[in-house]
Parts: sequence; structure tokens; C-alpha cells
Amino acid sequence: MNELIPLMVIVPIICALLLNLLHGKDKISRIIALIVAIVIPIIAIVANTGLHYFGGYTPLAFNGTLLGTLPTALANSNIVFFHPAITYSLVAMKKIFIFVLGIVIFLSLFTYFNKYKKISGPFMFLVFMGTAAVSAMLLTDDIFNMYIFFEIAALTQTGIILASDSEGSTETALKYMILGSIGGPILLLGIGFILGAVGSVNISDIVYAIKTNMVDPYSPVLLIGFAMIFFGWLYSSGLPPFNTIKSLIYSKGTPEASAILTTFSVFTMVALGIAMFRIFGYLSVYKIIIILFALLAMVLGVSMAVVQTDFRKMLGFLAVGELGFIALGFGIGTKISMTAGLFQAFNDIVITSLLFIGFGTIYYLTGTSDTRKLGGLISLNPKVAIMLLFGGFALAGVPPFNGFQSKLMLVQSALNAGYPELAIIVVLVSIVVFMTFVKAFHSIYLKPKPENLKFVHKEIPSLAIFSVAILLIICLIVGIYPRIVTYGFAQYLGGLI
Amino acid sequence: MVMDIQLASLFTAGALIIIGLYAAIFLDNIVKKVIGLNFIEDGANLFLIALGYKFGGVVPIYLPGMSRSWFYANSAYPLPHALVLTSIVIGASTLAVMLALVMVLYKKYHTLSTKVILGEDHE
Amino acid sequence: MIEYIIMIITIIGAIVTILQRDLLKAAVVSGITGACIAFLYEILLAPDVALTQAIVGAAIVPAFFALAIKKTKRTDD
Repeated sequence: MNELIPLMVIVPIICALLLNLLHGKDKISRIIALIVAIVIPIIAIVANTGLHYFGGYTPLAFNGTLLGTLPTALANSNIVFFHPAITYSLVAMKKIFIFVLGIVIFLSLFTYFNKYKKISGPFMFLVFMGTAAVSAMLLTDDIFNMYIFFEIAALTQTGIILASDSEGSTETALKYMILGSIGGPILLLGIGFILGAVGSVNISDIVYAIKTNMVDPYSPVLLIGFAMIFFGWLYSSGLPPFNTIKSLIYSKGTPEASAILTTFSVFTMVALGIAMFRIFGYLSVYKIIIILFALLAMVLGVSMAVVQTDFRKMLGFLAVGELGFIALGFGIGTKISMTAGLFQAFNDIVITSLLFIGFGTIYYLTGTSDTRKLGGLISLNPKVAIMLLFGGFALAGVPPFNGFQSKLMLVQSALNAGYPELAIIVVLVSIVVFMTFVKAFHSIYLKPKPENLKFVHKEIPSLAIFSVAILLIICLIVGIYPRIVTYGFAQYLGGLI
Repeated sequence: MVMDIQLASLFTAGALIIIGLYAAIFLDNIVKKVIGLNFIEDGANLFLIALGYKFGGVVPIYLPGMSRSWFYANSAYPLPHALVLTSIVIGASTLAVMLALVMVLYKKYHTLSTKVILGEDHE
Repeated sequence: MIEYIIMIITIIGAIVTILQRDLLKAAVVSGITGACIAFLYEILLAPDVALTQAIVGAAIVPAFFALAIKKTKRTDD
């Protein structure tokens, strides 16, 4: 039934409000949070694909009674195909993404509950509000609705960093909010420019108006609108020049909070990126500028990660660099490259959450994240070490994991489109990622233990091992049978291109 | 007299955004930066409302006794009003959160200068 | 005629706000700017938005600034 589609947004919001009220009552909060975190992927699978018009206002062309009352000048123009209400559209691609969002939120909350005795109601509120905002950004077909939930997601990301309460988290949160208050209004200005040119904020209407030449496709108003929306996209996803602040955010949060934050960033990047591709994909400057920023993101991310000695900062820079691969897939613009970009986004969510939760166990054990002071931990917990090693292989693109499949698809699409230089850069950056990860792994697990290493806790919570294992199994399954995931993506893109 | 209302409002919005950007980027005091961010949002909202203006039109409230086609032809465009209402409230909420963070940071550092608070790398 | 005067007052108010050394005066003048923008919304045929902006931009936001200034420092030096 199409009525289940808004439930994917409404259920997390209600849960967020409930959990904030129930702050202090531990047992009930844990049960409600885990139930809702399981219900979200179930709704995503059960709901029918299709469109949902809020208020029931279908476009006038499908609504015969209202069409008859209009003056003929309106009834014969192209405006009758415009959507008068907010529409949410659910297709197989969005189902897959919301499914994996639910899985990651469930596993992160599971790990968080096992680590701390008292859980914080406001933190749960922020996590579920961010989940609702990010699923609404992906589902909606209306660019102003996307801006509203983009602002909500930015606010909840700031709140999650504040709730993590580590050294310097308040200063980082203030810096992020100041940048956000510059990036957000510029995105709003871009939406205003498009509204002024076309007359509607629904993405399908804008695409229809540009294709049927109701507006001039190369008018300066649309080009300036593209530049402003592009700037807002750079801020929300963490591409240069915002990669430093994003990686600082990932390094300041608790490990589960960082896993949730990377998921939110990838979702906003995919939602805004697909909207930009649908509206502006015909421009030649679109390809050039997105490929340029994607290359900058990949190279800057990995070169800053190599020199780090703190493994949380190294992971932060690697996670931001991985987003450059997604942007490269969006920039080349053919069907295979967009499928590769979406597949890389799916893999990024699973792999970076795995790495953050896994490395978080080391931080839990020893209380420090400086790799110069650690060493020899493989004798304490060999299972987590092996799983983290396989996670690093998946990140760098070693078969048979899912990173290999998506990077192979990316390289093939770059070669097919006639850009062999991009394929070479992708391979080189993957090699450097592999080298960085192996260096960090060696200095944490394999080198001899220094004498003055103190342990804060005796052993790792067992549910952290369980979460990492489930994410690794997903990596392995998708790596061996990528068609489960890419079939939905290719079907959606076949309708777009 | 010289230019019509819509063009003059667009220029005012642009001037507000430029003044706000200057304050947010170049001034040192954090409270002045936040005031500049408030001006950027005011400018963006004024730009959106000026898009919907119709020269010589009426307010888009449908009173009984108006003919429909006259109303369609003469009223201002009401879609940007809905966008701006939401945007004003979002702007006020983010402003409140930022000022709360400034108060917490003042208690820790006893100064409002950006170089001290946001400058060094905190470990 | 009066619209152009209000627009000029808005821009001058914004410039005066960021040049102030006393932060409380800056908060009050930003309230004046917000009220002038509410008047502009009324001229531009948007009375509902003008009511919201008058309350938020001329009363609530300067009150937030005044509270924050009271708990921190009064002057900018």
C-alpha cells in the first residue's frame, strides 16, 4: 500500500519524541529503541513501490473534475502536468538504502546499549530524528522538502557530536554550525533561483519543464542556481573545501556516533546528488566540475590519512576520501558509472560503520587512540583483529569483498566513457588506502607491546564483536552476489537516463 | 520612482547577504559572527519573497465574492510564502543553539575572540 | 516612496550593527533591521510572513542576543 511510505519518516519521529520523554527509564527505552530500529527496514521491504501524494492532490491532468473548472488558457497548457502537492516516491533503489540504514542504526544502538549502563534520552532523540530526516531526504521528490530535512539533519549531527562529550567537541560543533549557516542559506538561494526560473519546486516538474523547453536550458539563472546547489552539496557531504571539518567531526565522536554520522553524510550526498543529476545532467560544466572535486576529495583524503598517528583521525580522513569515489561515479554521468557510484555508496555505509565500531573496541580497551603508544593487542582478542583486517581489505578493494566489485565497476565505467586517466587515479588511490590501513593495523596489533600500556577495561563487550561480524557477513554476501543490490540500482537509472 | 519594488527588494537582499558574509568571515568576535549569519538568512528570505511579487496585484487571500479567473490573474504567487515561513523558524532555532554553545565556551575560555576559541587544535 | 526609505534604513542599520563596539547596542539595532524587513514583507504582498518576521526578527532574536550578551561580555575588545 502506498500509505506505508510516509511511515518510514513518521515512525522514527514518534520514537524520538517518546525516547526523549522516557529519559531515565532505561529498560523501556532500550526495548522501544531496538523495536523501532528493526521496524524501519521491515517497512522498507513491505511497502509498495510507487508515488504518494500528500493530501491526495494528484496532478491536474489526472483529476478530471477539477480540470473542467479551469479557464481554457490554463487547461491547455503544460501546467496541468505539474504536481500541486509534495510527492514521495519509493523505488527499489531507495528500499535498499533505507534497509541498510535500518541495519546500521540497529547495530550501532545495540553496541551502544551494551557499553554504557545508563543511556541518554536526548542522544536517542537525536539519532532517531536524524534517521527520519535522512530517509525523508532520500524519499522525497520535492527539492524544498529536501532542504528542510537537510537542515534538520545538520542540526542533529551537531547535537550528536555535542552528546559525545570528548575533548574539543564543543568547539568543533560550533565551527560546524557556523559553516552550516553559510552553506544552508546558499542552498536556499539556489532553490530560489530555480523557483524563479521554472515556477515549481517539484523535481519531476523541473525536469519536465527543462526537457520540453518551457524555460531556456542554458539561461544564466539556471546556471547560477546550479552553482549554489552544488556549494550546498559540497558542505553537506564533506567534499573539499569542507573535508577537514568533516573528518574532525568523525574523530571527535564516540565510535557508534561516528558510524551513525558517516551514514547520514552518505545519505545526504546521494539524495542531493541524484536530484542535481536529474535536473542538471545535460550541462557539460556539470561533468567537469564534479569530476574535479571528486579527484580533489580522493587525493586529499588519502594523503592526509597517511601522515596521521591517531587512528580515529586516520579513519575520519579515509571515510571522507571514500566519498570522492561516489562523486566520481556521479560525475562521469553514464548509466554504468551512476550504478557504480550508488553501489559504492552502499558499500561505504557498511564498511565505514564496521571499521568505526571495530576500532572503537580498541579505544574502549585502552582509553587512547594514539598508535605510537599501542601494540601487540592481537594476543588479547584475535577474532576482532581478523575481522578488522578483512574490513580493511573490503575498504581498499580486495576480492572477494564488496569494495572490489564496486571499484571494478567504477574503473570499467571510466574506461568505457573514454577517461583512462581517471581509472588509473582510482587504482592508485586504492593502493594508498590499502597501505595506510595495513600500516595502522600493524602498529596496533602486530608490533610488540610497549611496557607502559594500561588497560581501562578488561575485555571488549561481546555485542561489539557480534555487530562487526554481521556487517562483515553483509560485505561478503554482497561481494559474491553483487546482483542483489545492483539490479535495483540499474533498474532505477534505466528510467532516469 | 527609479526602479520598481521587486528589483529594489532584490538589491536590498543582495546587500544584506554581502554584509552578513563580511561579518561572518572577517570579524573576530563570535557574537558579531552570529549577527552576520542572522543577516545572511534575512537576505535569503527577502529574496524568496520578492520572487513572488506581482506588480499591481493583491494579497493571495481568497475572499468570498471574488471571481476565480480575476483572482488567478491578479494575486501574488503564494508558494514562496510557505517556504519562507519554515525558513524563518529554522533560522531562529539554529541561532539559539549557536548562542547556547557560545555561552558554554565563554565559561571555559573567558573570551569571545575567535582566534582563541576556534584557532588551536584541541587534543 | 516610503518603501525606498525603509530599504535604505535596512541597509544602513545592517552596516551600523556590525560596526558597533557595544554588543548590546548591536543586538538592538539588529532588531530594528528585522522590523524594517517585516515592513518590506508587507509591501511585497505577504502579510502572513510579515507577522512571523515581526515577532521572530524584531522581538525574539534580539532577546536571545541580549541574554547571551548578559551571560558573556558586554563590549567587543
